[in-house]
Amino acid sequence: MNRVHANMKLSDLVESNFELISVIQRLEIPYGFKEKTIERVCNENGIDVNFFLHLAQWFNDRHYSPEEHLIKHSPLWLIVYLRNTHHCYLTYQIPRIEKEITLLEENKDLSDQTVKLLIKFFREYINEFTAHISEEEVRTFPYTIDLIDTLNDKMSLDEFHAKYQGYTIDSYLEGHSDLDEKVNDLRNLLLKHIPPIVGNCHFSNLLLELFRLGKDLRDHTVLEENVLIPIVRKKEQELIIKIKNSKK
Amino acid sequence: MLKILIADPSYLVKKGLIDILNQFQEVTQIKVIGTQHGLTELINSFNPNILLINSDFKTCIGISPTITITIYHSEKSENNKNSISILDSKVDIIEVLTPFVKAFTKEKEVETESEDLTPREKLILKNVTLGLTNKEIANKLHISTHTVISHRKNITRKLNIKSVSGLTVYAILNDIIKMEDVS
Repeated sequence: MNRVHANMKLSDLVESNFELISVIQRLEIPYGFKEKTIERVCNENGIDVNFFLHLAQWFNDRHYSPEEHLIKHSPLWLIVYLRNTHHCYLTYQIPRIEKEITLLEENKDLSDQTVKLLIKFFREYINEFTAHISEEEVRTFPYTIDLIDTLNDKMSLDEFHAKYQGYTIDSYLEGHSDLDEKVNDLRNLLLKHIPPIVGNCHFSNLLLELFRLGKDLRDHTVLEENVLIPIVRKKEQELIIKIKNSKK
Repeated sequence: MLKILIADPSYLVKKGLIDILNQFQEVTQIKVIGTQHGLTELINSFNPNILLINSDFKTCIGISPTITITIYHSEKSENNKNSISILDSKVDIIEVLTPFVKAFTKEKEVETESEDLTPREKLILKNVTLGLTNKEIANKLHISTHTVISHRKNITRKLNIKSVSGLTVYAILNDIIKMEDVS
């Protein structure tokens, strides 16, 4: 994989690794790139070029560009990215997989009971998933944004304390579960443990989608736990120092 | 467990050898060192099964692991089975390495056990899916909690399913429990 740089055409980047289409969507970059470079597209859309480059490099090669590079940037871009990821999961990917599982009912190789079990399993997962994401949307992300506003004097300390009452990013981490676990379990159930299915496009496609979602959720957890949390912890420390100084 | 140490100053040689060694599934760990400085200590602490060592380094080593293969940065001075040269083709190098690496395969095969659940594991699985905690299962079956945990680890490893709800689906599909048993 080539090194990603600012003067590279965005269309060439996507051609070299089509997985980066997710990044385009999640950072709200409009398609229709023409011959524009990464730098130009980022500037036109108010995106931090270095953040984009580090993220794209991270997607391409974890050894070359570990999460530490992403920590240097403002968490606000990461939050845009994570929010759009959630949006895609909830409105598109998860409902699509749910539909694919219900379509298994038409498969003669599978008993009704098996399909029912799989649907029940996935619907329970959707509930957990929605709760997990809503905690982040309702609490963790606004907390992070307000924390930065407080550091920049855009929000008063009193208002911040009243709103969050002792909430810290570590309390979020305590309840943070692996969202990919059950997706991988479902995948392995289908792959290894249900009655054999032969030459079925729909079934194979369901497996492909589960593999992709599982991998993407793993990445998502890494970005939250290894990038967002360390940044917010650092900002929390800065706030403590700010409070100490203001009392002097 | 097959541990390999590469001692050679050349980045390209190390990189190339790692690439080749990674193609053997028997190899579990590879370490590299670029100088003789600290080499003896590393051999003692890492305790490699195979040492790939630059021909210029060789004379200074008093101790050696079970197998030593010499790396020549020129043509091989002798044509023996324990040496490779940077002029060798990939196939040549693999031919030299293969017998040494494969010697470790036999032991590995003995370790591989059946992937089917044992009757004991099925019993544990049944209780897990019924919602019992590790402690409750331990009391019920008169075994230690530690044993229950160890069984659970084996079940998860064999089935590749981690969550209790995933295990429940498996258990119903395989008639270990009935649908009605789980509320």
